[in-house]
Amino acid sequence: MKTLAKEMLEGLLRDISRKALVYCPQRNERGDLLLLPLGEGTTDGCIGKTPISAKICLFPQIEDVVMFAGDGISKVTDGRETVVFGVRPCDMRGIVFMDRFMSRDNLVDPHYFARREAMTCMVVACNEPPSETCFCTATGKRPFLTATHYDVQFFDAGDYFIALAGSKKGNRILEDRHFKAAAEKDIEKVKRIKENSSAAGMAAGELEDAIKKLAEDRVDGLFWEKLALRCIKCGGCAYVCPTCTCYNVQDYPFEFGYRRCRSWDSCLFSGFTRETSGHNPRATQGARLARRYEHKLKYDLMKYHEIGCVGCGRCSDVCPVGLGAIEIVREIALMP
Amino acid sequence: MAGLAASFGSGAMTNSIPEMDDADAFFVIGSNTTEQHPLVAARIIEAMRLKNAKLVVADPRRIGLAKLADIHLMHRVGTDVALLNGMMHVILEKGWENKAFIAERTENFDSLREVVKRYPPEKTAAITGVDPGTLSEAAELYAKSAKTMLFYAMGITQHTTGTDNVKTLANLAMLTGHIGFPSTGVNPLRGQNNVQGACDMGALPDVFSGYQRVSDDDVIRKFERAWGVGGLSREPGLTVTEILHEAGTGGIKGLYIMGENPAVSDPEARAVERCLRKVEFLVVQDIFMTETAKFAHVILPAVSFAEKTGTFTNTERRVQLSRQAMKPLKGCLDEWKIICGVATRAGYRMGYDSPEEILREINEVTPSYRGITWKRLETVWGIAWPCPNEDHPGTPFLHKERFVRGLGHFDPREYMAAFEVPDEQYPFLLTTGRVGAQYHTGTMTRKIPLLEREAPGAVLEISPEDAVALRVREGSMVGLESRRGELRLPVHLNPDIPKGTVFGTFHFSEKNMNALTICALDPVAKIPEYKSCAVSVRRL
Repeated sequence: MKTLAKEMLEGLLRDISRKALVYCPQRNERGDLLLLPLGEGTTDGCIGKTPISAKICLFPQIEDVVMFAGDGISKVTDGRETVVFGVRPCDMRGIVFMDRFMSRDNLVDPHYFARREAMTCMVVACNEPPSETCFCTATGKRPFLTATHYDVQFFDAGDYFIALAGSKKGNRILEDRHFKAAAEKDIEKVKRIKENSSAAGMAAGELEDAIKKLAEDRVDGLFWEKLALRCIKCGGCAYVCPTCTCYNVQDYPFEFGYRRCRSWDSCLFSGFTRETSGHNPRATQGARLARRYEHKLKYDLMKYHEIGCVGCGRCSDVCPVGLGAIEIVREIALMP
Repeated sequence: MAGLAASFGSGAMTNSIPEMDDADAFFVIGSNTTEQHPLVAARIIEAMRLKNAKLVVADPRRIGLAKLADIHLMHRVGTDVALLNGMMHVILEKGWENKAFIAERTENFDSLREVVKRYPPEKTAAITGVDPGTLSEAAELYAKSAKTMLFYAMGITQHTTGTDNVKTLANLAMLTGHIGFPSTGVNPLRGQNNVQGACDMGALPDVFSGYQRVSDDDVIRKFERAWGVGGLSREPGLTVTEILHEAGTGGIKGLYIMGENPAVSDPEARAVERCLRKVEFLVVQDIFMTETAKFAHVILPAVSFAEKTGTFTNTERRVQLSRQAMKPLKGCLDEWKIICGVATRAGYRMGYDSPEEILREINEVTPSYRGITWKRLETVWGIAWPCPNEDHPGTPFLHKERFVRGLGHFDPREYMAAFEVPDEQYPFLLTTGRVGAQYHTGTMTRKIPLLEREAPGAVLEISPEDAVALRVREGSMVGLESRRGELRLPVHLNPDIPKGTVFGTFHFSEKNMNALTICALDPVAKIPEYKSCAVSVRRL
């Protein structure tokens, strides 16, 4: 356990950035808080909840996966050392969720794991929920990590952070000159922060109730069709979701050949499930919305014994028509 | 534009988008808002969800928003004037009109009363197919809600009666006093990010920037002085459709087309093609190769929004600064640089050195843009015109306390049928429109695989009832024919389309609905009647 005075944070990140690409929450010229490479925005001490989680550092919106040039075909991977500061506990849970998915059935995704292995995650626990849509506690989790999925976990103790390492990489970070040894009282402080932390964007009973109704097949097609009338099919909920991993693959020409890119996709697009024959097993927007939530709250639970929602509330933040997880869970819970 | 300008004195959205959050009711007519202006639709949906706002939709198709609406008026294509006159008839009969507003702010009310008297609910029902009860409910909801916003789009304007339709909407808003206040108004949703800006800058045949008329001597003198020239024409020019026609008959010898693809987007595609072949000299300026550019003698490669800096004026009249995000691709130039180069070589030294300098000239010669300076735009999310000076905050809603033209002018219109109506030989009514995943002639969106996947090709949407009669099913190929052209394409059965009507889009140049549409124009605005023509459908 170490401590880091808050005014030392920037120095620490600068030290690290000599050897690695550092991401941290920064403001752009319009004041939006985004997870950007160090120096691309300005820091004001706010860690908050960036609209897109740390998923973007591992699984970018668009990336080259294969190059075809002349007679050659080459796999493209990116193994640059990357350190992300300001990963929230929900983001980290999302990454652990993705790790499992990207290596399921012994099919290891080389592009994802090239980045993952070169990535160091510096998690910052939430004393206070960073936004009113946070509901990790409703998912049965807490706004800090207990399992050592993190490399470093920071606790905010007012004018300094208390830092715990969860891995060898994390230990190496804590060796930086900006850290100081922690005192006895800091152990007590961490305990108190943990006790007092909460995230109350959703009542726990609502989520449990919705999960139960979905498990019992009590949510019918008409319910989804009615909700889906509002959906404007923007795909935003999937893009910001820390556990969404679906992508599409396209080839684009370039000067010397073709690049094969993959880019984020969304189960709310009609072409996502349409077959070559024209038949679409999820033919309506209601069926697609149902698929999305059944996947997260029912099938993931059956398969992995945990739901595919980390309670970050980003889908509720971004949806222009009130169809994020919070609103959908509430609608299901309100059903008789 | 022309219709609103005649009624109110200004042809643009009267109110702004954020005001939607406080509206009590919405009336949407001729706009498939969820598909074409999804974020405007999202405001309506959220106002309904969070504030219990009410929604009336008038559309011949059961569009997405119609399914959410409290009342859907499913009137026949092209019967908007009758429908709206019928609503006004009910409003006057029940005494729901805003008498104080009519007395203080409007003129010519008596002639409106005379005309709408001729549209009792039964007669309206016979023309529109909307039953009197539903009509009355819609009229009540529109008239009696405290703050009602009216939205329309191309479903209103793309008719031979487009200007009549708009004037009738203006009549309805004035009759009930739903204009000149926050969260009210008559709001045309513009189709492109900068089509309002193009109109504002005088890319119209009869005005300079800020709708200053070319027939006004003072205006002419001002522009002659600003540009250091003499002899600017006081005669209005031709509209787009007229220009193409003239090009075909030899009246126009050279055409310079920017960011437009008339080979696909204009009605009667075969005739357009003939005109484009005929013209002696054709220049096309665009960011991608287009069907129109294939006819060009010279193609000038321009830049996309991401490659340039400048301003866009959006649908709510808000001027916003847009900054360059990437350098122009090799061989491409900013449009303003191309235009300066062409003008200079043609003998007029046009020597702007930046978009900022161009905006400075706009500020100088355009009263409504005077206070919208570069410096201010750098620090705010945009300013809505009119903005007469640098201390003025901009104008989110127009016609407060006084219409731009003084008194609001009631110009009652009578219902007139579409130019071409279904008959024995061509028994179906073809109406054209758009889908959310494609944009206009697809020159941009069809290059994006995800969007192409969402809407991968042209289909003819028909009602299941008609499909049974024609003995076709989902995906069957049909021959579609009008007096002007024919197409073969697959059908899509859509229960949200009325019997006797078929729907198609103009996104797909290889199956272009505009091969069939009719070049019948609104007499004032000269907009073609894309929304209605007669066709036959044949099983293949």
